[in-house]
Amino acid sequence: MRAFLLTIISTLTVALVLGLGYNRVWFVDKPLYYWGSFIKESRSPAGPGQIRKARYGMAYTVCMQVKEAMAKQPVSNPVLLFEPNGYYRDSLHMDLHLPEPAVFYYYTGLRGVWMHSPGVEKANYFVRCNNKAEVKLEPIGSSGQLQIILARYQKFLSIL
Amino acid sequence: MTLFLLICCHFFSGYGLLDLFNIRQKPLVTLPLALLTGVAVASCVPFLLQLAYCPLYPATVFGALGLSCLLLNIRGLARAYRKWPRIGRNMMPRLRIRVYELPFILILSFLVFVSVWRCYYQPPTSRDALSGPEAIAEYAVREHTLINSFFTTDLSTTNNQFKSPYLTSLQVIYKMAGYPFGQIWLSIIFISYTLLLYQVLKVTLHPILAGLLLLLMTATPEIYAYTFLILYDYSNMVFLFLSLYFLIDSLESRRRSYFYFAALLMGIATYIRSETLVLAALFTPILWIRQHRDGEPIVKMAWTTGIFILPSLLSYYFTISLYNNHYLPVHYDIAALVNPHPFHLRPLFKAYGDIFKELMVSEYGVRLWGYIMFVWAGVFLAELVILRRFTRAARNWLYAIGIVFAGLGLLEFLLPLFELAYAAKRGLFKIIPLMVMYLANSQLLIRLSARISQWEQGRSLGSRSQQG
Repeated sequence: MRAFLLTIISTLTVALVLGLGYNRVWFVDKPLYYWGSFIKESRSPAGPGQIRKARYGMAYTVCMQVKEAMAKQPVSNPVLLFEPNGYYRDSLHMDLHLPEPAVFYYYTGLRGVWMHSPGVEKANYFVRCNNKAEVKLEPIGSSGQLQIILARYQKFLSIL
Repeated sequence: MTLFLLICCHFFSGYGLLDLFNIRQKPLVTLPLALLTGVAVASCVPFLLQLAYCPLYPATVFGALGLSCLLLNIRGLARAYRKWPRIGRNMMPRLRIRVYELPFILILSFLVFVSVWRCYYQPPTSRDALSGPEAIAEYAVREHTLINSFFTTDLSTTNNQFKSPYLTSLQVIYKMAGYPFGQIWLSIIFISYTLLLYQVLKVTLHPILAGLLLLLMTATPEIYAYTFLILYDYSNMVFLFLSLYFLIDSLESRRRSYFYFAALLMGIATYIRSETLVLAALFTPILWIRQHRDGEPIVKMAWTTGIFILPSLLSYYFTISLYNNHYLPVHYDIAALVNPHPFHLRPLFKAYGDIFKELMVSEYGVRLWGYIMFVWAGVFLAELVILRRFTRAARNWLYAIGIVFAGLGLLEFLLPLFELAYAAKRGLFKIIPLMVMYLANSQLLIRLSARISQWEQGRSLGSRSQQG
């Protein structure tokens, strides 16, 4: 009987801890939500590629588009120059946040540079995104062309 | 099958290490402790292979894991060769679960399950991991070296390539074992730590109170997130806690082997996060106080301090001084990152104020830690006002809390990159298990435990003995 009463107390304690104040919000938003996700995913599990797309969002999809597009280009050692994330935010008013060169390399195996990177002069392709997140690659033929691109985006911030 | 073999390797490596240090605990503590130390041993293997310029193929990595497991157990094997050990009853884990523990066990199992699933199937990966250890591990598996083509890309936006090889090494092992996201080792750490902490709490508290504290600890939103998000802080918290657990035990029991083991665990915590070296140094006064009380000569006090700090110094030397400066193709000038005005102390006090106000007692603090800090503060104040004294163990854990708090402020002051919103916030992980251990050793909760136990056993409260 006493063990039964202690069981009721421990059940109430669990309910109290997880039902009180912010803990309730957290428990519903996180563990219970993940549980729902588990139930849904266990019916049709996704592969690592699909999981990465879901996890890393639009930026990952754009990076993979760049990778696909670069595979068709006749260049052996491409270095891709990216538009600053500040340009997407302030000029295109879109929520696109392309990764820094290190993360881009992790995703794609391709080398990238930002407008203010130390090795920006090595860039031989320019990656442009429109406001529908469609990717366009432009070859950079000369250092003069590179300087024009850099000057055009000078006022935008490279946001991490 | 691969996972099973890896878990066995971790367990036996850890068990061998415990045996070398003569760590004798009950089986339900030995099991998780062996797994935790085994994961720590594994985390050194690819790193040491790299230091020896040995290529990282599955054969070399798993061969070295097996060899390290064998070497750590050589003493036990030699003993077994001389006299085959008889497996006694007390060597087998005795699972005695009371019915009222079930609600806690069920909800904790649910939280563990969800975390393991996220870790295995849908792991969130932080920018800190993607721009450093995770990327290095991914290319290490392809190119068979930790110093790989990742270092040839533009790394001007990150310093994560200079962080400890702990995470990279474990990711290499688990990616080589066939897990595309690696990181299942984090679930092993989470489960082992949870199981170990429950057993430790039950030593002084009634299972209901132990379950309550463990639930409060596990349900801290920020820490729970890091049970399936690979970074350094969760592992650092676990190994720092283990080090202090054995250090405080060694102060009470005067077992030298526990003291050496605590020093080793502090070294592991420093290997995981190099800033822990500062905390290791700040914990030495507790040794001096004890030795001064015991009338030990200064030479012996210095020797003990040296022994305690040595593994941490070695960890720092191998991971930062040697590896970063002499192996990596890019270098990191840590001296340039240190606050150039160390005697201008106002920012130090501001750092303490910010940590306390913004991260601990604010609404944001509740979203990070739940209510555990308020529970701790309530019990602490009640003991301070009502009982006006603390048990020796509680005093030691209070000291540990104070040192971690002081250390975090100091680190934020000395290293401007140790930002409040990131590094200091995650640094506070380390305080939570210490608060839980203080609660487990507080007279109020020990007395309450005794009352519950007596009531449960049917004895009248009036005839209770003066426990606690």
